[in-house]
Amino acid sequence: MNFSEIHIIGEDETFRGSKSKYVWLFGGIFIFLCFLAMHYSTSYISFLFSNSGGIPYTLISYLVVLSIGPFMVMITSFDIVSSETETGSLRYIISKAHRSSFVLGKFSFLFLVFTSMSFGVALISLIYQYSTSNTFQFEKIVLFLISSSLYLGCFISIFLFISILSANNKISFAMSAVFLGILIFFFLQGDESYLKYFTPYYYGIKNIEFMKSFPVEAGYLKIFESLCSMLLYMLVFLFMSLAAINRRDL
Amino acid sequence: MAISTKNLYKKYGSRFVLENLFLNVEKGSIYGFLGRNGAGKTTTIKLLSGLSTPTQGQIFVDGMDLSSESGKVKQILGLVPQDSGFYDERTALSHMVYYGRLKGLSKKESLEQSRVLLDQVGLGNEMFKKVGYFSHGMKTRLGIAQALLNNPEVLILDEPTNGLDPVGIRQIRQILRECNNNGITIFLSSHNLLEIQEICTYVGILDKGKLIAESTIEKIRHLESNGVITVGVYNLSSEMVSLIESLKFVVKTELKAEHILEIFVNSRTDVKPEINRLIVENGGQVFKLIENSLSLEDAFFDVTRIKL
Repeated sequence: MNFSEIHIIGEDETFRGSKSKYVWLFGGIFIFLCFLAMHYSTSYISFLFSNSGGIPYTLISYLVVLSIGPFMVMITSFDIVSSETETGSLRYIISKAHRSSFVLGKFSFLFLVFTSMSFGVALISLIYQYSTSNTFQFEKIVLFLISSSLYLGCFISIFLFISILSANNKISFAMSAVFLGILIFFFLQGDESYLKYFTPYYYGIKNIEFMKSFPVEAGYLKIFESLCSMLLYMLVFLFMSLAAINRRDL
Repeated sequence: MAISTKNLYKKYGSRFVLENLFLNVEKGSIYGFLGRNGAGKTTTIKLLSGLSTPTQGQIFVDGMDLSSESGKVKQILGLVPQDSGFYDERTALSHMVYYGRLKGLSKKESLEQSRVLLDQVGLGNEMFKKVGYFSHGMKTRLGIAQALLNNPEVLILDEPTNGLDPVGIRQIRQILRECNNNGITIFLSSHNLLEIQEICTYVGILDKGKLIAESTIEKIRHLESNGVITVGVYNLSSEMVSLIESLKFVVKTELKAEHILEIFVNSRTDVKPEINRLIVENGGQVFKLIENSLSLEDAFFDVTRIKL
């Protein structure tokens, strides 16, 4: 691993990469969807929150992230490595840089895009919050920003791992879709099943409670624990990705 | 040695594609790596350039162990992989600057070197053109240019002339000669025996994952036999062929037609009179007796024992 190489690969992917434009476009679409959700919640469901101190914009945005986010990440990440394996452009990079730098560079690009997207959504909800109730709830916004970044980061690392294992984009897309289906299936098994622990949904949904009424009764430790779980989940898949790329014949 | 391997093995599933490979590439040489399809040439190149890891054995590049010093090795190694693509929507210059930075150059240095190298490979006027519009030959030249970034000591090319027209082949040959004149060791795999014979100083022949010959072009050409004598004989009998084969300088014989026999000889003296005398003494009538020097192609077929 070499930080300079990670920086070069990440920077190149972000500003000049072959996927750069369309990943940023999807990020923009995502922000727009969150904006629509916030806008229509003001028009149509404000009566639901008339007794609870106004519309919880961050919570609504977070629900959009929870539900649509994984699909958005899948569409943008499934071919992040497999496309380079398929065309062989990967060989030019790997002959010059460390494999781990390549993977971490790619990850940092996607993580940067989706963190920026979360930041954009957080900013919009802050504006909505202020325009409707004249208050700033910074803690909720910060929690939203960290939670949604980590939650999407979990999915980025999952699809990055699958993309590394795949020989081409078709296989990668099929495997990603199947894996996402399996995660949803695990999650739908309910609270009693231990399978829920294998899904980022479980950790993501736990944070809804904290976002509803902040600060929560259980205190900051619970929030910290929940965020750490997501971070750990993301790191597990990231380490698996590094192990996979180091073992692969290119 | 610029490149050396010790006891190198590569296994895919239960099949060994490389076995006990001991390779020695001298500094400053142009080493041609020959072999049939599936002989293991590309696998060897992937191992040498770190794209693949060996099942067993060691690889040394400029005395550095590839497994423990891969970072340093990558800095002195340039690779032109086979059938590898570029990003179609990016320009040649953009590729070069990116790869240059990965090779440890600053943005400015990378830009300067990229311009020089693109000029050197004849892409100076095409550097702002998207690679998607490049011909196969232009992409190969871009591949060589990117491999030359940051002045590598060793250049590895996997069948660089594949699919090129004669003009393209000559251009690549010219570029490689220039690189070698600048002190770069070149390791080149190819199917094209004439190509190897034209530019290489050393040759290694790989067959079914095993290195069956490694030496200078001249020595390889004379490894088994150093010449072929074609004799045309009336009344050619099997007894006569056996007698010829029993001569100490005869390596083997091949019957090419009813009256035409090819005799592979290994001798530094002219053996034609002796063969002629033997045939005549045994009742044969010689109507043709010509000696040809072996080409690398003949030597390749000889060494690999391939029958057409």
